[in-house]
Amino acid sequence: MHLNRDAEQQQSPKNGLLLLQLLVLGIFVVFTLRFWYLQLHRGQEFADRAENNRIRQQQVYAPRGLIRDRNGVLLAVNEPAYALAIVREDSRDIPAALRRISDWLDMNHDLLQETFEKGRPRIRRFEPQILVHSLTFAQLATIEANTMTWPELKILTKPRRFYPQGPLLAHVIGYVAEANEQEMNADPNLTLGDSVGKKGIEFTMESSMRGRKGARQVDVDAAGRQLGTTMLVPPEAGGDVRLSIDLELQEFVDQALGEHVGSVIVMEADTGQVLALVSKPAFDNNMFVSGLSHADWALLRDNPAHPLQNRAIQSAYPPGSVFKLVIAGAALTHRIAATTDRVFCSGGLRLGNRLFRCWERRGHGWMDMNQGLVQSCDVYFYTLGDKLGVDRMHPHAVESGFGVRTGIDLPHESMGLVPSRDWKRRRFNEPWHGGENLNMSIGQGYMLTTPLQVARYTAALINGGKLLKPQLLADAPPDILGELPLQAGHREFLVQTMVNTVEGSRGTARRIAKPGVRLGAKTGTAQVVRLMSEFERAKLTDIPYHFRDHAWMNSFGQRDGRSYVIVAMVEHGGGGGSTAGPIIKSIYDYLFPDPPAPPETDEALDPA
Amino acid sequence: MTLLDRRLITHFDWALAGFAMALFALGVVNLYSASGFRMEEGLSLSSFYRKQLYWGMIGLGGMIAFLVFDYRHLRMLAWPLFVATVLALVATLLWGKTIMGARRWLDLGLFNFQSSEFAKISLLILAAKLLSRDQGKLGWNQLLILGGIGLVPALLVLKQPDLGSAVTLLLILGGMALFRGIRGSVLKVAALLVPAALPLGWHVLHDYQRQRILGFLDPGNDPLGAGYHIIQSQIAVGSGQLWGRGFLEGTQSQLRFLPEKHTDFALAVFGEEWGFIGCLVLLILISLFLLSIIRTAAEAKDGFGCYLAVGIFFYFFWQILINMGMVLGLMPVVGIPLPLISYGGTSTMTSFCLIGLVLNISMRRFFFKK
Repeated sequence: MHLNRDAEQQQSPKNGLLLLQLLVLGIFVVFTLRFWYLQLHRGQEFADRAENNRIRQQQVYAPRGLIRDRNGVLLAVNEPAYALAIVREDSRDIPAALRRISDWLDMNHDLLQETFEKGRPRIRRFEPQILVHSLTFAQLATIEANTMTWPELKILTKPRRFYPQGPLLAHVIGYVAEANEQEMNADPNLTLGDSVGKKGIEFTMESSMRGRKGARQVDVDAAGRQLGTTMLVPPEAGGDVRLSIDLELQEFVDQALGEHVGSVIVMEADTGQVLALVSKPAFDNNMFVSGLSHADWALLRDNPAHPLQNRAIQSAYPPGSVFKLVIAGAALTHRIAATTDRVFCSGGLRLGNRLFRCWERRGHGWMDMNQGLVQSCDVYFYTLGDKLGVDRMHPHAVESGFGVRTGIDLPHESMGLVPSRDWKRRRFNEPWHGGENLNMSIGQGYMLTTPLQVARYTAALINGGKLLKPQLLADAPPDILGELPLQAGHREFLVQTMVNTVEGSRGTARRIAKPGVRLGAKTGTAQVVRLMSEFERAKLTDIPYHFRDHAWMNSFGQRDGRSYVIVAMVEHGGGGGSTAGPIIKSIYDYLFPDPPAPPETDEALDPA
Repeated sequence: MTLLDRRLITHFDWALAGFAMALFALGVVNLYSASGFRMEEGLSLSSFYRKQLYWGMIGLGGMIAFLVFDYRHLRMLAWPLFVATVLALVATLLWGKTIMGARRWLDLGLFNFQSSEFAKISLLILAAKLLSRDQGKLGWNQLLILGGIGLVPALLVLKQPDLGSAVTLLLILGGMALFRGIRGSVLKVAALLVPAALPLGWHVLHDYQRQRILGFLDPGNDPLGAGYHIIQSQIAVGSGQLWGRGFLEGTQSQLRFLPEKHTDFALAVFGEEWGFIGCLVLLILISLFLLSIIRTAAEAKDGFGCYLAVGIFFYFFWQILINMGMVLGLMPVVGIPLPLISYGGTSTMTSFCLIGLVLNISMRRFFFKK
């Protein structure tokens, strides 16, 4: 190995070596002088400052943005609240302090201990760690009286969220609660004890409503007692949110739905503004704000009626006859049938060796498309579905806004389901059968839709074909996400059949008719189970609740240039017309007030 | 050329190794103290001093690895190493792990490697190669080449964003150039250019970095961070007075307010606990350590070895100057550790490897004296 390429015996630059030595001498001298200045010349002063007057920084909570309804009524506010915190550094005996707290506040000591241990790794020794979020005034007084002897206890003012209407809007507004481990890891601005939106608008609008925490300097003496505070950075309040919801209408709709399980949506057809969104049963979102006990949480979670579920957007049901509008549209678009083509309904249709029944066992006789829709004849649509096939029904349904999220500003929206050959292959590893076209054509089988998807489709029928994003923010402009795959003439035909369904003597929605208002509707039934034969002819009240079908009704109402869409879904409500009809009718009476209509006498029962 | 050559052993620089070890030992003891081993320490640092000891062992391995081969082989490797570094920096920016909002780390499975440290080593090797090719004072051309190889890694590191490492890279290069000497005419122009470039540099900095500089210039005016740290660390050091508060006693005072007390502010803990006397001892140790590196540079048998030692000298010198200056309130807060004293895997590794390289150069200083 020869490395003599550089054997030039180069002399290192003398000046350079001198420079390096001077540099070392330089830092030695400069830093020695600095140490002398800090430690000897001003040492006593610094030592006193270190001993007697310490400075701490504390965060100051920012008030969260308020939520109002479209008319400015407050739906979410911040109340002053006081939290109890502990500073470990100021404590001579933490276990004793915890015991004291559990005595004073009459709290479970083990639970308190657990809260403390869990939060401890996230909080520095000189920072206050929140133990109790909202103190009552009595508790506050007790703690205040003892802070001199227990300097480790601090009272922090932390605004607390309050929802004046509670359950009425819980599904829309959601709630805030203490940030959990994952949330804190994902967002460096969150510290232990911070509240974040978990559900609903509180979750979706988190970033604009949160605001920014401020900081203040707290001077404390050696024992941790506060001497004074200075605001360093004032907190910035979060931005307010104005919802599209009309609180009075929401209250009315809530009462109209009454004790039923289900949901109702009221929407402006031209803007997508959601004026009311009710899902029952509801829950009280105020329960979550100060932390929910395990027992309460289990009660809510395991309640068979699922109060936490927002049925308008998270529950997907077979659309039933409501879907017949979509099938009629697909048949017109693909020129499978003209509006005048007639089909004979004898009460059933035979396909292969199977008999597909119409809900009207006696048969409807000859039907054109208008009558097929108005009377909701199954056989008519079996015929269309058989001719169309899933490969044409699937894309048409998807373009009409089914099987895709509407994009409403709420988390956890369900997509629903529009089956296709591919889907069935993936899901069941089976081919698509001809009979499934028939089930799909009357909105049964695998089809699943959310009430909101139905509302958006209905709005598109009467607003010129625009598929809008359902808006929950009053100030958001209409957001067009797509177009119905229909020619204008076909669309108007479908709208007219909906009007005929209300106004015709044989229409399944004739009970909602209202003079002076242009009303259109379609009823539907979402089958829960294939009804056993003993229930087939029984009256609704004789069928056990859980075997009863779900009742759908989608509708629109227009007068004086205003046009609304109302969709109601009543779980286990039997036929669409009889259960959902009165609810929807009363809402239109509210929206278009006029002299009271003559009392209802029609007690007939129309399954869809 | 083998390890068994007796002269290699006889020329081993025990003094340099000894000073380095002493500094490292002080650092571990100091970490132990900064870790505040009281039972109810929320963010327990108690594992840090132990981890640092492990790093020291691994570092010793690195040191030995860097002194067994003949350092002159590095000349051939200079360019490949440099290119590999630039690639590693780009990789870090693209796929690095984000820690505290900065992408500085490549997860190599074994440990997270801070690619900017690797850049310091390969840059000083390349600079030593280029500077030792000819003699005399540096002119424009040579300076431009040096500036070019410095700016590429420096800008990449600045993007991470790691202002401290970017500044260190350029300072090491500048120091080596000054050692070689620069033509007077060039210096005059540079003296005019630098103030002109300042506003531009101000523009490149991140918001928080500007905050720190402003906070340094006016500590009272930056309540949320930089100024606060500067005040707190001065109180900590100052309160040590002549004899210090004593071992483990410092954790009772101001240090809680220093978030990086085990890394960048290690000296504040030291100053508080050991006082003026301790700090003087530390300064003397540091000075002797640096002087040993200068001696190696002076006795090196070829230009490459000399410049290599000079580069390593500057690696330690600048970081010591900036870190101490920051803790003592003479400089803005820049995230630069105190070599051998602060906690940190990559920094400890790099320091030991570079010390190995200096020992390597001094061991082989008689190779041409047949």
